[in-house]
Amino acid sequence: MSVLADNFTPSTFVDAFRFMGDNFSLLLTKAGETSELAFAALGVALLVALPLGLWLGHKHRGLFIALGTSTLGRALPSIALIAFFIALLGVGFWNILVALVVLGVPPILANAYFAIDGVDRDAVDAARGLGMSERQIVLRVELPLGLPLILAGVRIAAVFVIATATIASVAGGNGLGDIIVSQSDRNVGLPGVLAAALWVSAMALLTALVLALAQRAASRRMSPRT
Amino acid sequence: MVRKHTRRAAKAAFAVSLGVALLIGLVACGGGKKKTTTSTPAGGNNPKIVLGSKNFSEETLLGQLYGQALKVKGFPVTYKPSIGSSELIDTAITSGKINVYPEYTGIIALDLAKVKNAPKSAAATYQAAKKFEETRGLTLLDPTPFADTDTFTMLTSTAQKDGVTKMSDLSKLPSFSYAGYPECQTRITCILGMKQIYGLKHIKFVQLGTISVYTLLDEHKVDGGDGFSTDPQQLQSKYTALVDDKHIFGFQNVAPVVKQSLLSGPGGALLKQTLNDVSAKLTLKAMQQMNKAVVIDKQSVASVAKTFLQANGLA
Amino acid sequence: MTRGWHVAGGPVIPSFGRSSACERSNGWFCTDWLQHHWGDTLQPALVQHIELTLIAVGIGFAIASGLALVGFRWQLFDAPFGAFSDFLYTIPSLALFQLLVPITGIGVPTVEVALVSYTLFILYRNMIAGLKSVPEEAIEVARGMGFTRLQTFVKVELPLAAPAVIAGLRIATVSTISIATVAAFIIPQGLGEPIFTGIQQNLFRTEILAAGMLAVLLGLTADGLLALLQRVVTPWSRIR
Repeated sequence: MSVLADNFTPSTFVDAFRFMGDNFSLLLTKAGETSELAFAALGVALLVALPLGLWLGHKHRGLFIALGTSTLGRALPSIALIAFFIALLGVGFWNILVALVVLGVPPILANAYFAIDGVDRDAVDAARGLGMSERQIVLRVELPLGLPLILAGVRIAAVFVIATATIASVAGGNGLGDIIVSQSDRNVGLPGVLAAALWVSAMALLTALVLALAQRAASRRMSPRT
Repeated sequence: MVRKHTRRAAKAAFAVSLGVALLIGLVACGGGKKKTTTSTPAGGNNPKIVLGSKNFSEETLLGQLYGQALKVKGFPVTYKPSIGSSELIDTAITSGKINVYPEYTGIIALDLAKVKNAPKSAAATYQAAKKFEETRGLTLLDPTPFADTDTFTMLTSTAQKDGVTKMSDLSKLPSFSYAGYPECQTRITCILGMKQIYGLKHIKFVQLGTISVYTLLDEHKVDGGDGFSTDPQQLQSKYTALVDDKHIFGFQNVAPVVKQSLLSGPGGALLKQTLNDVSAKLTLKAMQQMNKAVVIDKQSVASVAKTFLQANGLA
Repeated sequence: MTRGWHVAGGPVIPSFGRSSACERSNGWFCTDWLQHHWGDTLQPALVQHIELTLIAVGIGFAIASGLALVGFRWQLFDAPFGAFSDFLYTIPSLALFQLLVPITGIGVPTVEVALVSYTLFILYRNMIAGLKSVPEEAIEVARGMGFTRLQTFVKVELPLAAPAVIAGLRIATVSTISIATVAAFIIPQGLGEPIFTGIQQNLFRTEILAAGMLAVLLGLTADGLLALLQRVVTPWSRIR
């Protein structure tokens, strides 16, 4: 059943760290490629999803859209999406980026909608009473109050996009995924694969941590003043 | 608005039941012609064959050809396809996870055994490979007539533009990119050979993953790539494989690597005969046509193997 | 059947059948390919995919239930375990599969361990949240009526926690169906396999689209079924 389990010894993990030491610049370059892809996609996703989510939430319209994209986004397998886009557009950085954007939009959109939609009506009414324009209400009242939930959505999207950017190397992308699939390269081997997998996990964890801290800071700022 | 709510709910319930019905229909009909197969009832004395193959279609095809022929003769056969590269599948057989798999003689001699002086003929390569395997409790059965080597394939238009017809010509170019599988970088039958034997200095290695090398060539993502000499695309004038004048790609006939214990046990003679009979039929033309059927004409590997075996009285 | 070329002394090379014009021009909906290969490619992949999902969600649910009960009682367990499963969930699926290979080998167990880990995180969180959301008053009322600890748990807390649990089950199932496509990287099973094959064969569109759509169909149907279940279990709350 298990073809290579016999190759595992605790030293494999030690070798992985040795690989990291020997190939630090390679890992760094590859990590840079993955980051480039992931964060570019995340940026585009934010540009698309955030304004839309804020606007829909403000109008309290489009619950169906928010729920629908959320469910659809979860049901879209990343591999299928990447394969679809490269079959449609050809192999290349921007083509894979489109797939990643499609995956990153749903969590951001849904969370932005729910965040703004759920803001305390009294606060909004008070702001309106003060004569604020709709735009000012969104930016000065609803956005700060909804920030924690929005950041939660960004965090989910970020982890998902980094994970998928890794897989993208299977489809001609670049990045740490290249190393993860090259076990048969004797320069890489199992230790190299482990090293790259650990690096990619670290990247995802670090991003998640940063966003989680931001989320915590945002919600602390919004705690009721006594 | 209770009525609106129930109407929406009814619509949702209907959609879901439609989906479920569709799925049940999809799963149920089609009569489960599963790809994975297990043992046949007959031949209680015959040893269980665990047939491995690597992760590209020609290897899967060879696995099916050998496996189906053995099944017809009463051997219980389990397939273990997609086992990655030669290095990985070699570990699989030496650790006993599989007991038969088809391998290329040049890979064994040059990349696994790492013989010092590259053998100068197909026969010499076969002998060197066989000698190596026999030191490890394995052996090689008869080789096939066809050989499938790696190549340096380019778009014909690019080759003409650069004025290259053989691989030594590549030294004319300041640099070029070559797409190969991960193991290519450390093999004398690949990048290492290009650097050491051809003396080519500036090679940009592009790793091949799931995307086929011909797709990359079509999209101008690489200058040259590792197409296999039996790929059906090689028959198209669009692609050209440069002549390997220094023979780094070696001689690559296929022979089944088999555990010696299988041959010396019960059913061993029949095993040997069956596999050799199949190998004898695998000429270059036969393989090219079968590869074409799978890759270009999208026939399934199993059915192509079956058709071929039946046409030749082996199944 | 054996109309083909006959090379003297060599093998008979039969005709293997030609592809349709649609297949050769790489169309998106080649119905002849779909008809021919439904039984040998798409359907087995679909069945394997369903199997992988059911096993993962089933085992994940069982383990998460046990752990949630523990975590609900003992805060000392909940905090670290919550953090640990959070950690596991953030590891990209391809990386997790590869990290497990040296331990559990190349086979279904590796895939299942990874898939179970992902479901575990979602289910555990939701179960704990569900149990914690039971209002104190409900428990007091039950105690006041003379229920034992166990009776309270079974008759009051569990039903009130059920909506959150089912919501978690819904998310976990759909995510598992989606992640299971990556499993084809390790073993040639599930709907990811035809997608990989399609990519290899010069980006064969029909195969990629068909397998992708089956995965989406599977996910949406599972989601719909569980949404219905959620509604059945909580007739008093609006569906979210």
